[in-house]
Amino acid sequence: MMFELLFKYPVAVFSKGEFVLLGGWPKWVLALLIVAAAAALAWRIRLKLSRSGGNLRNWQAATIWLFETFLAALILVLLWQPAMVVAQLRPEQNIIAVLVDDSQSMAIADGGANTTREEQAKKVLADGTLSALQQKFQTRIYRLDSHLTRVGSLQQIPPPTMPATHIGDGLKQLVAETSDLPVGAVVLLSDGSDNTGGIDLDTISALRNRHIPVHTVGFGAESVSPDVEVDDAVVPQRALADSRLSAMVTLHQHGYSGRKGTLSVRDGDKLLTSREITFAADGKIQRENLLFSAGTAGAKSLEFSVAPLPDEKNKLNNSVTRLISVDSDKRRILYVEGEPRWEYKFIRRAEDDDRIVQVVSMLRTTENKIYRQGINDPNELADGFPTRAEDLFGYAGIIIGSVEAGYFTPAQQDLLREFVDRRGGGLLFLGGRSSLADGVWGGSSDVDLFPVVLPNQKNTFHRAPATAQLTPAGADNLICRLVDDPQANVDRWRKLPYLMDYQDAGTPKPGAAVLAEMMAGGRKLPLLITQNYGRGRTAILATSGTWRWKMSQPLGDTTHDMFWQQFLRWLVADTPGHVVASVPNQVLFDEGHIRLSADVRGKDYTPAADATVQAHVMGPGGISAMVDMTPVPDAPGTFQADWTAEKPGSYVAEVTAQKGSDEIGHDVVSFERMDGVAENFHVEQNRDLLERLASQTGGKYWQPNETSKLADDIPYSEAGITVRETKELWNLPLIFLVILAVRGSEWLLRRRWGVV
Amino acid sequence: MTFLRRTPVIAALLAGFTCSVTAFPGGQQQFFGGNNNYDYYDPASNQPAEFYWSRLRYTARTDSYGGGGYGYGGYGYGYGFASWSRDYPKADRQFLMAMKRLTRIEGRPTEQVVDLDHDDDVRPVANEFPGRSIDNYPWVYAVQVANWTFTDQEAKRLHDYLLKGGFLMVDDFHGTADWDRFMNGMRMVFPDRPIEDLQDNDEIFHVLYDIGQRFQIPGEQYVVTGRTYEKDGYVPKWRAIRDDKGRIMVAICHNMHLGDAWEWADMPEYPEKFASMAFRIGLDYIMYGMTH
Repeated sequence: MMFELLFKYPVAVFSKGEFVLLGGWPKWVLALLIVAAAAALAWRIRLKLSRSGGNLRNWQAATIWLFETFLAALILVLLWQPAMVVAQLRPEQNIIAVLVDDSQSMAIADGGANTTREEQAKKVLADGTLSALQQKFQTRIYRLDSHLTRVGSLQQIPPPTMPATHIGDGLKQLVAETSDLPVGAVVLLSDGSDNTGGIDLDTISALRNRHIPVHTVGFGAESVSPDVEVDDAVVPQRALADSRLSAMVTLHQHGYSGRKGTLSVRDGDKLLTSREITFAADGKIQRENLLFSAGTAGAKSLEFSVAPLPDEKNKLNNSVTRLISVDSDKRRILYVEGEPRWEYKFIRRAEDDDRIVQVVSMLRTTENKIYRQGINDPNELADGFPTRAEDLFGYAGIIIGSVEAGYFTPAQQDLLREFVDRRGGGLLFLGGRSSLADGVWGGSSDVDLFPVVLPNQKNTFHRAPATAQLTPAGADNLICRLVDDPQANVDRWRKLPYLMDYQDAGTPKPGAAVLAEMMAGGRKLPLLITQNYGRGRTAILATSGTWRWKMSQPLGDTTHDMFWQQFLRWLVADTPGHVVASVPNQVLFDEGHIRLSADVRGKDYTPAADATVQAHVMGPGGISAMVDMTPVPDAPGTFQADWTAEKPGSYVAEVTAQKGSDEIGHDVVSFERMDGVAENFHVEQNRDLLERLASQTGGKYWQPNETSKLADDIPYSEAGITVRETKELWNLPLIFLVILAVRGSEWLLRRRWGVV
Repeated sequence: MTFLRRTPVIAALLAGFTCSVTAFPGGQQQFFGGNNNYDYYDPASNQPAEFYWSRLRYTARTDSYGGGGYGYGGYGYGYGFASWSRDYPKADRQFLMAMKRLTRIEGRPTEQVVDLDHDDDVRPVANEFPGRSIDNYPWVYAVQVANWTFTDQEAKRLHDYLLKGGFLMVDDFHGTADWDRFMNGMRMVFPDRPIEDLQDNDEIFHVLYDIGQRFQIPGEQYVVTGRTYEKDGYVPKWRAIRDDKGRIMVAICHNMHLGDAWEWADMPEYPEKFASMAFRIGLDYIMYGMTH
């Protein structure tokens, strides 16, 4: 109110408008006149000072000069007719969409109040806000839950019972349905609770394309205290049996800052791991890493929880559930070694204890002899390195030891690249006297596969000691995790025995991750570098001397074995099969619609567009359904099907792809429908989401008690049918007040200094 | 060096000479023990490589010399004609020549003497890379093992070394009495592990060369006596001790002398078939040790 008294126009005129000078004379004349006025005033004051006998000090004279110059400049600017040009919605011709959230969380009566959030929202609208909007615009009222539904009046909005709110989907639906209507703004009355976890960029971009501002009005208490809430747990959807997994658990709390709590993960009744955490500041998002073993094969429902604390207001939001599919199928790695080396032996020994990863190796013992280990049948690798895609792509990972690029034919080099790019396999290059730059790989067609720019010289391999150390990226990376605590892990690496040799791998490429470095020959060199390439991943370990970690540590030390098992599991864990089934969300809250997708590849891992794909969905209460999956246009090899899980519970979908009568492959994906769980989360107002939505679309976040000004603010919008209005500024009350204040202050000072 | 058994006086004189030599300038201790005016110190001794032919230096039994005209030594460890240095270094170097020619192993052309009493420093001492500890040398050759003795600490060291992935080949001991004395030491290392006879189809005989029909490999004494055996060791015993996963840790060549076969491979009188077999066995054992 005060703002408009002084500035005549609402804030939006100044925040959204453009400042202009309407006067016809050029701006440089204005600048020149201001300078001239300043100079003339300075000359006049100086003249007067000299005549009056100098009873005014310099700083006093300067102050008077400043006052007079400011006044002269202000008057000159006003002569140039300053104004704001702002786009304004044409009255009566635009539509304001009013969206009222009617999901379950709006039924909460905060702080023991008698009215629910939804009732408060309706009351705000009914008490003048809606009628004020209707005086200037056409209005359309919608209720928003998992869908957007238009209603005739506020009375037609039912009590909030809908289980889910999808704000983003609702806004997207609004934009689509009103594409030919002049929507000037959206007013969203909500608590910000959104079951999809946020508003996607597509929705924001659709709103911004049409310049539609979303004004949000937030309802509900902004915090519940004391309370701990687990927001999210990020775990891989797939894992190999007995793998160590890392989960990033996100939580926040109010009222327990600095106190201790217990974070745990359970598979059913079985506690997988737990650890003590210290709660961060109230309301602050806290991220905690949890390491645990994936255990045996099967679909698992993992519960990540913080143990309930005394006096906690809501104990039902202390845990979240995530599904993982643990796979026990063997992953085979082809290890090609160009010469007998200790590293070869000790890598093989480390993998002896891994029942999932199997190392199949071919070792050049002499110029013309290859010694094979781990083969399935006598014919495997009998002719050396595979020359056909279907033979090579049977492996999930490849290790290239001390082998020069020239050992592979150009066709085999292409196959190596396709192995990573198309098949999605993992490729590891080890250091050695015929490796990396010394193996002339820099001149090969596989140079792109390296996560480094290889040195442009030879003799990069050195038989001299090198000590390993982790980078910050490696400290909590699962490949390098020897000890759970990241700092203890860094310390553990520093104490590892020195490596037997090292190689200058070159300069890491942008996008590559350096997980470990080594001090060697007075230099710091990258030791372990990884990168994603195509569908797969590549890595370099720039040494062949980790075997010393085994031999030079006490019997029973597992460092070497653990490192290699983790490393090689990383290499192959994400290598896809011929069929990869997926769902967008593994946990469905209060609704059962799900879209099953499958990426189907043939024997050579090219997209199998002509496959027949079916999903066999099994669920609670004996639910069993065969669902045909249809090809997605413009995405060869991708198949989709929509299905609805009617009952809450766990579901498993086994997706099978066939070509004629031959099975190409199959995959299993699991999901779970949970009813009545989501309402226990995010019970406080998600002000952050509402504020972000408003600011990203050019709208504003409003408290319920501020909405009386909404109708005045909304007109200033670029959306809908607008007219550009010019708001002159010369007659702002503020300007007259300023002139009076400057003139009055100067007069008072002059009196005081005796120079009136 | 079996000629020394027949020429104890000369041997004693040579021993007196060699005892005065303790170390070479390169930092690696080298010891006399061969013949043929061998160039014992070789600049290549400081050249780092992937594979080091490592000869185990141990403390010999004090009653080991003279028994059956065999086992000259008993000097404690380290110097002169101690048991551990039989055929050293000519056998070692000739074997390394064969290895270089016949395999892709990057081996140092000279041997490395290792023992069970040294640890590595946190950082390797200059000119001692890759360090003095036996743990830096996962393949070790020992001879005259009937004479070896261990302290409890040394036995544990060897025990741990082998279980971590080290490989030990023992050679040049003959007959029942030698076997019993060898086992006295071995039982300190592995009190319970069984010793088994290797079969023709065992992987160790097929890693590089398929060696089916094996026969006794005599020492250089065969040239004079025409006998392939010594003492009561009439039948060659190809034996082994395995770890829990069935991998051979200790390859035992009992009643034979491969070291002499390597050493005298260039002697016209020593039959080629024995030398060839010895080289093939040695290369298979190394290749097995580097792959299993």
